[in-house]
Amino acid sequence: MFLVRNAGKTLPLIGVIVLAVMLIAGIVAIMDSIPLSIRTTYGYSKAYLGVTPRGNNAMTPVLRTQIEQEAPVPLGPVMTCRASDCEVKSIVGPWRFVVLALSQEDMRTYLSRLGGGRVEGRWPSSGAPEAIVSEPVARNLGKRIGDTMLSPTDVNNFSPKPVKIVGIVHMQPWMALMPIEYHRKYHFPPIDLLIVMAKDIRDQDRLDRWAFERFKGQQARVFAYFELEKETDEMFRILYSILNVVIGMLVVVITLMMAMLMNIYQSQRIQEFGLLQALGYTRSILLKRVLAETALVVVGGWIIGLGVAFLALLIVRAVLMEPRAFMLDPGDFKAYSYTIPVPIAIFVAATFTVVQRFRRFDPVGVVERRLV
Amino acid sequence: MIQVDKASLVYNDHGRDVYACRSIDLEVKDGEFLGILGPSGSGKSSLLYLMCGLKTPHEGQVLYRGRVVQAMDEQERASLRLNRFGFVFQYPYLLGYLSALENVLVAQPSGHRRAEAVALLESLGLGDKLHRLPHELSGGEKQRVCIARALLGGREVIFADEPTANLDHRNGVAVVETLVASRGTGSLVMVTHDPTMLEKADRVVTIADGELVQ
Ligand SMILES: Nc1ncnc2c1ncn2[C@@H]1O[C@H](COP(=O)(O)OP(=O)(O)OP(=O)(O)O)[C@@H](O)[C@H]1O
Ligand SMILES: [Mg+2]
Repeated sequence: MFLVRNAGKTLPLIGVIVLAVMLIAGIVAIMDSIPLSIRTTYGYSKAYLGVTPRGNNAMTPVLRTQIEQEAPVPLGPVMTCRASDCEVKSIVGPWRFVVLALSQEDMRTYLSRLGGGRVEGRWPSSGAPEAIVSEPVARNLGKRIGDTMLSPTDVNNFSPKPVKIVGIVHMQPWMALMPIEYHRKYHFPPIDLLIVMAKDIRDQDRLDRWAFERFKGQQARVFAYFELEKETDEMFRILYSILNVVIGMLVVVITLMMAMLMNIYQSQRIQEFGLLQALGYTRSILLKRVLAETALVVVGGWIIGLGVAFLALLIVRAVLMEPRAFMLDPGDFKAYSYTIPVPIAIFVAATFTVVQRFRRFDPVGVVERRLV
Repeated sequence: MIQVDKASLVYNDHGRDVYACRSIDLEVKDGEFLGILGPSGSGKSSLLYLMCGLKTPHEGQVLYRGRVVQAMDEQERASLRLNRFGFVFQYPYLLGYLSALENVLVAQPSGHRRAEAVALLESLGLGDKLHRLPHELSGGEKQRVCIARALLGGREVIFADEPTANLDHRNGVAVVETLVASRGTGSLVMVTHDPTMLEKADRVVTIADGELVQ
């Protein structure tokens, strides 16, 4: 009743909580979008193990034989390929992205390994300076079919001849492929790499971990998804501990602010409680009432804040992130869980101030119009 | 029904003890209209607070139907004020965000007494102002809302602390008459510094400097 009749006093309180929740959820969700982008952009490596020779080109066939003979799980296709790279955009600046050079047949196998998708345009012709990319890559680069993707004049996206995009595959994973014959003829250095697929994709992780141990300290380098995960986690561990401190401080500041607001708000309330107490309401009933009201304001503000934050993130994603294929998860559970301390801290602070006031409180002072 | 037995109330005035009431003996009988007369600062309000349990005597005691009020727990004392006593404070104190009718209903949170509250306000001449907020009422109208609040539910004792202090004489007399007429079978204890307001009283006692004078 009080809350509704005094909307002018209640709404600012709710507003502050909404803003605080939005702020915290927003910061965490944006931060989270970076590792999410890494996992999405390089998610293709979940589908296979990459192995490159180290220091000695001639190692590739040796490695291939070793893997084929010793692999702990049944193997699927093992491809020899070449790789070049291009530059993709992220919210934290440019990232390198691999452009794999494969044979005609391997390109198709590769695509179906990543889940497949509808091909718009056509596949690159054997030996031609042409590329096929997945839709998120095209969106990220802002390119369409017919646009030049790599060129001799672009140091960040280099190829000795202009490479045109001739096909776009509609699929989630990020992928860029070109014909191996063209790469062999024009690109440097002439290093053959291996792409090793477990027969059953569920065995891929086991194969990856085995290869990582098997080739440790040898003339080979292993690229596997679990390593990517590990590096990403390590990279962000420090960032997240800083984030925790910042958000912790934010919660303290907001709580102090809210406690002061609540204090002013309750100074007005305490007059009412003096009268009600004089009329025969017990302290505990009044305390329960004010705590229920506080809980309503705090939890209500929090829930509205979650809703508003979700909407805001949806809008940010639609307007700023999607057009460049940046990742942002508006349903990021972690972002929302970071806001849980806000209502709790505010409720505790408010309860503390109310109880404090109720302890030394004489209703006669109120009905006699003396100050509380 | 209410017995004040050698009760004293002491205020601490910057380290010095001030007796607002000193060793007062007084009885309120069932159904009577008791007037308490005294100049400003004589301890009239303090005496009322002692009688209704809002203040605890430092010496002596107050008994309600033979039970010592200060020995009751907070719950019980609150329930006395909620269900058996009605209080009209010196200043008409209403909740600003509630209508006249809702302000009256505040006095009986558990009961369904809407009809009774409407009837009370009507009998007090506020039948057409039930939905006004306090700031839309005059001083005398507010005082009458307070009276309705004190009367709601039928009380055993109505305490009225200078209910006429802020009103002109004519309105003051009207308020007293309303109180006398609406209290039903309950007692009325009214405090004032104006003897003309106590013409209808069954009994009048005088208080000066915290002590009863005969
Ligand atoms: N909280 C307090 N602290 C100190 N002294 C107080 C306090 N309340 C009242 N007094 C003193 O106690 C005495 C009696 O006060 P009380 O309010 O009972 O007088 P009163 O007869 O009701 O006066 P009035 O007619 O002006 O309302 C006064 O001298 C007053 O100054
Ligand atoms: Mg007084």
